[in-house]
This record gives sequence, C-alpha cells and structure tokens, in this order.
Amino acid sequence: MSVIEVEGLQKSFGRLQVLKDISFQVEQGDCVAIIGPSGSGKSTLLRCLIELETADGGSIRIHGQLLVERGIYAPAAKTRPIIARMGMVFQQFNLYPHLNVVDNLELAPKLVKGLRGAELRGRSLELLHKVGLAEKASSFPGQLSGGQQQRVAIARALMMEPEILLFDEPTSALDPELTGEVLSVMKELARERMTMVVVTHEMGFARDAANRVLFMHDGCILEEGSPERIFSNPQRERTRVFLQSVL
Amino acid sequence: MEYILQITPALLRGAGVTLGLFAVVLPLSLPLGFLTTLLQRCRFRPLAWLANGYVFVMRGTPLMLQLFFFYFGLPFVPWIGKYLTMAAFPCACVSFTLNYAAYFAEIFRGGLLSIDKGQYEASKVLGLSRAQTMLRVIVPQMIRVTLPSIGNEAITLVKDTALVTAIALPEILHYAKGAVTRDFTTAPFVVAAVIYLLINLVVALAFQQMERRFAYAGREGGGLR
Repeated sequence: MSVIEVEGLQKSFGRLQVLKDISFQVEQGDCVAIIGPSGSGKSTLLRCLIELETADGGSIRIHGQLLVERGIYAPAAKTRPIIARMGMVFQQFNLYPHLNVVDNLELAPKLVKGLRGAELRGRSLELLHKVGLAEKASSFPGQLSGGQQQRVAIARALMMEPEILLFDEPTSALDPELTGEVLSVMKELARERMTMVVVTHEMGFARDAANRVLFMHDGCILEEGSPERIFSNPQRERTRVFLQSVL
Repeated sequence: MEYILQITPALLRGAGVTLGLFAVVLPLSLPLGFLTTLLQRCRFRPLAWLANGYVFVMRGTPLMLQLFFFYFGLPFVPWIGKYLTMAAFPCACVSFTLNYAAYFAEIFRGGLLSIDKGQYEASKVLGLSRAQTMLRVIVPQMIRVTLPSIGNEAITLVKDTALVTAIALPEILHYAKGAVTRDFTTAPFVVAAVIYLLINLVVALAFQQMERRFAYAGREGGGLR
C-alpha cells in the first residue's frame, strides 16, 4: 500500500485552475522532490495533502485512509488523525516568536499528546542535538539566523513523530550561505528513510537526496522519474527548458 | 501653600472616585472587548453583525451622551424602566465599561490582524485545536502587539472619569470647580491637573513594566518586523 495516493486532484482559486488532474503515489521511505517553475502549483499540491487548502476534486489517501474522496473531505473527526501522521515545514519557518526553542518544540506534544516531564525534555534535547542546535535550547526564534530557525522548525515537526514529512520550499527564504545547513539535515532524514515530499528549487538536493522527482508545469505533473532520468535525460521539451534555466 | 493643603483633601476624595471607576472599568472592559472581537469574527453572521453594531454605536456616540442615557434615560423606558434605575457610581461603571469594551474590541481586532497566518497554519499542522491555537499561540502575541494601545486607552480612561461630574458623581474635577468658584482662584485646577498627572504617571509606568514583561527576544523596542 502506498503511503500517499493522489488521484485526479483538482484545485482552483477563483477562475484560475492551479491543479489540473494530478495523480501520483509516494511509497514508504520515498524522498520525492517536486520541482517546476513558479506558479506551477507545487506548493498548492503540498498544502492540499495536509488540508491547508481544500481540493475541489479528486482523491487523496494517506496510508490507505481517505482524506478526500472525489473532492469531498472526510469529517474533521476523521481527517484529524490522518493529518496527525504528517508533519510540515514551511518556507517562512512559522516558529512561535513568543516561545523559546524548547517551548516551540514541546508546545504541541504537551497540548495534543499530553506529554510532560523528563521524557519530553529528553526527546526535545535529542532532536535539537540532531539538528545541531543543542546549545540554542533557551534562545528565542528572533535571536536565531534563518537557517537555525528552519532547523528548529524541522525538529518541531519531528517532535510529533510524523510518518510523512512535507517541506514547502524550506530554503527559499534563506540567504544562500544558510541553505546548506538545512539541506544537510534534510539529507540525513532522507538517509534514515523518512518518507518526505519536498517542494524545492534546490536542484542539487533533488538530484542527490531524492529518489524520485516530479516535474510540475501549469498545474500538471509533466514528467516523473528517478533523478538521473529527469536531470540527464528529460523526455519533455518543457522540462529541458526549465532545467537549463535553473542549472 | 496653606490654601493648597487646605483644598487637597477634598480633591483626593474625588480622586478616590476616579480610581474606583478605573479599577472597575479596566478589568471588566478588557475581557468584554476581547469577547466582542471574537464575536466579530464569528462564522454565525447574526452574532458578528450584533458585535459590529455594538462597536459602531459605542464608538459613534459621545461617552457623555451614553452616560446621560444610562443615568437619565433608562428609568424612562416603559415597563422595565424602574428596574434599570441605577445609582450614579454603578451607572458610570456600566456605561464606561460598555464604551471602553468597544474600543478595546477594535484594538484587539487590529492585534489579531497583525498576526501572520503562518502561525495558524503551523498550529493546525501540529494538531492544536482552534481553542488551543487561540489561547497558547495567538493571544500571547496579540497582547504583546496591543499593549501600547491598551496603555493609551487606560490613560484616556483616567481622564474621561472627569465626565461623571455630569451625573453628579463628585470626582476630582467636581471638587476643583467648586473650590474655584467659591474662592476666586485657579489654584485648585492646577492641583487637579497634578493629581491626574500623578495617576497617569503610575499607569504609564505600570504599562511600561508590562510591555517589558511581554516582550520577547528579537522583538524588543516594539513594532512589527
């Protein structure tokens, strides 16, 4: 059974159709990179998967459970546990500015899972260590660089022990010299076989860390395949033009 | 100097009314204002209309008129009027609270607008309920943003209490004016001004402390990034 199955997904904003009949699957342990020009619908697709946007048509199954069936969402009581199996990392980090780093990590586990005490603290420090920020535990987001903030955001998402991690252009808001530290955390997650879907403009990451690449253009998946195939032997003219412009 | 010492006790008695009103109105109008903001955003439209109408009326008419309405007007309402008759002080509390809540509602509404929608999205994705998101994520940030405006209103409230002299509640200005007409000197007005200034100095300092307490690193100095 696929971890994510999307079939015939459609989404419009007003008269603008952003997603036109999108279908794809993600398997356990996949790291899928979604690439393509701006406005091709990559972020909207990702946001539909976790119900930050509501699709107009099509179906989404997560671990076989229906989130959307032919454009109709399951009731909130059913979608909540499905969404809880996914984590998301945003372009703008969206850390809580009024909480320090540890509290950012622990707020949701405390409120949602009722976790407390030493076990929780141990887990948050362990994850901070993993993203290389153990010494920043009591800093506030405003005191961190963009790259550090994004690594905290990744740790915060991991606190909820998601089975799938979605990344929405995680390095696009960063200064170029700060993207490396975030990408290396993501690469490590990919090595650990975390199931990931990454919308990105980082072609290096798509080529090295992803095992599958989707090329989106104008609301459609134009081409998909292994990174080698997409990058060295694209089948479609549009893919070739795009890759030439970004590489 | 002797004269000033002689009139000051009366003025301070008036200050008691001012402080009493302040102490009742501020803690009541803040939560009522926040409730109004939540109703304004309510998806059940009639409730939102009601809240908007309330804010419109309270902001759109003079506080003095509202005071007159509640004190002199309500008792004349047919049938139920006799149950709505209030003594001057409770009446002032009610009208001030209703009036200030409307202003606070607008301040809170602005505060909520200033919070990035990414905060709601991150909370949703992390599994927080709407109430948890509001209480633990949005409101603490909203307080930080709105504190300077709330402090401003609190200072205005101290000065607005001078209006209650119109419904015969003896506060600072009431005694000052009495002394001025009785003794043919403007000194009581100066003393009154000093008392208002001292009260507002304390209020301003208190809000400064609170702003410090709610400040979080990377955001000192106020303002939004």
